[in-house]
Amino acid sequence: MLAQGLVVSHEQMGSSNQKLRRLVLQGPVAQTAKAGQFVTVQVQDSARTSFDPLLRRPISIAEISQERDEITLFYRIKGRGTEILAQARCGDSLSIMGPLGNGFSLPEEGELWLVAGGIGIFPLFALVQSALSQGLKVRLFWGGESKAFLESAGLTSWKELGIELSLSTLDGSLGEKGLVTELVQSALSQNKPTESKPEAKEVKVSVAACGPKGMMQSVTELCQRFNVPIEVSLEERMGCAVGACLGCVCTLKDKAGRQIHKKVCLDGPVFRGEEVVWNETC
Amino acid sequence: MKPVDLTTQLGGITLRNPVITSSGTYGFGEEYLAYCPLEALGGITLKGITPLPRLGNPVPRLAETPAGLLNAVGLENPGLEEFLKSYLPKLNKVPTAVIANISGFSLDDYACMARALKKGSGITALEVNISCPNVKHGGMHFGTDPRSAQEVIAAVRAETDLPIIAKLSPNVTDIVEMARAVQRGGADVLSLINTLLGMTIDLNSQRPVLANTFGGLSGPAVRPVAVRMVWQVAEAVDLPIIGMGGITSWQDAVEFLLAGATAVSIGTGNFYNPQAPLDVVEGIRNYCEQRGYSSVQELVGLAHRG
Repeated sequence: MLAQGLVVSHEQMGSSNQKLRRLVLQGPVAQTAKAGQFVTVQVQDSARTSFDPLLRRPISIAEISQERDEITLFYRIKGRGTEILAQARCGDSLSIMGPLGNGFSLPEEGELWLVAGGIGIFPLFALVQSALSQGLKVRLFWGGESKAFLESAGLTSWKELGIELSLSTLDGSLGEKGLVTELVQSALSQNKPTESKPEAKEVKVSVAACGPKGMMQSVTELCQRFNVPIEVSLEERMGCAVGACLGCVCTLKDKAGRQIHKKVCLDGPVFRGEEVVWNETC
Repeated sequence: MKPVDLTTQLGGITLRNPVITSSGTYGFGEEYLAYCPLEALGGITLKGITPLPRLGNPVPRLAETPAGLLNAVGLENPGLEEFLKSYLPKLNKVPTAVIANISGFSLDDYACMARALKKGSGITALEVNISCPNVKHGGMHFGTDPRSAQEVIAAVRAETDLPIIAKLSPNVTDIVEMARAVQRGGADVLSLINTLLGMTIDLNSQRPVLANTFGGLSGPAVRPVAVRMVWQVAEAVDLPIIGMGGITSWQDAVEFLLAGATAVSIGTGNFYNPQAPLDVVEGIRNYCEQRGYSSVQELVGLAHRG
């Protein structure tokens, strides 16, 4: 749907140099939104529209409250569009398209392991809520630049969930020093029965990953090695956001192994990791 | 007061109103259904198809520029066979005029598609794309040389009774010469303009933003160029024109009608506002009512008078 979103709250998340914002919009989109979906937002108030930027900005939905008709978007100020969006004030009205796309699927049994790189954590906020409400056991693996980043990007609310967290930072200021993929690798290894512990029972794991492309590729390769299903959320520059313009295609393998294109906006943004051709040639 | 007559005659077909959506921005007619009912439109123009399927160019395919959008999709499409099998049957039921857009790399390519898309197949008219800037051979090559342009249209003319709409490239020295060439080839209607060839460079990577280096510029930034070309062609060539290039509002659309376009088409404007076509139809109606015109066709070319 195309609807107005009334800005009811718009605040900085954590320290100012992380350039993270939390935007709460009130409007009818909340009634149909599901975890993992996104909206596209016109970054200026509807009474002061401009053609710079021309396109709407796709942002994943982090929280949904049907009771209050509200969706919450987390974003990082990264370019001209988000710089203008950051100036939106309470009472402004933004044009919203959505909810759009298909989110992560929830496994019927076993554990759901969330793997996030940087602000790839944002779409997982909505996912963990629906996973926990279905009684699934959830673990989070999250890597970021530094302690300041993780704390600004919502670490406290993850801690409050009471789920097992495995954290890494590039500078070692919190959790393990290094990449989140290393944490995932050791957890997957530990879940395997070994010769020394043949009696250990393997937990059935499903992975949902969101973050930089290289990270999602590595996690997919790990999951394939350990025979664990994985879904990844892809990102690409979008034009129409409804599958019409073919601006945001990604390359997948079909069943016969041929490379095909899918639309991130309409067919995704979530795809099965093993379908994705990470270093596409076409 | 009688309601304003919005019906529009275009190359032997009658449209409900003069507002069409542009090829490459509106998929195959299903994508925008949640935002814009097709029966509100004068017509839709389908994504360009080629004889064989094409994967198109690598990403990034899009880059924003001030009031504009560069694209280098590269004619990704399912190919003629898949189009006939999976898309065309559904289009029979579409409650508006359906314009198929065909593209190719040889005269035979264009001829074979014109043969396959017959009258009665659900297609109202054929738009012949001789102006795609994003493929290496064919496309715009046919649209920048008057003789080639005439030959392509003549090849299509020999194969079809459907109205032929020639979509012209603005990347030429003399748009009027191109319009005359396709008229000689047998075109019934002109579409102008396609995108303007452009590029943009990323200051961090110090590389072109688009994987294809160049792309076609569309959006409000190109509108004055498009209005000028519609004006020039309307003065010189006696064929109806579908005016397009940067239309996002009814005011933009009326400007094209005044410049000499019989109908207008909305492309990139749909990305900005997926309900732009509805707003444009209503705005044109109101403009006619307020100024006392009984038919939208009274507006066509008014800016040329005395």
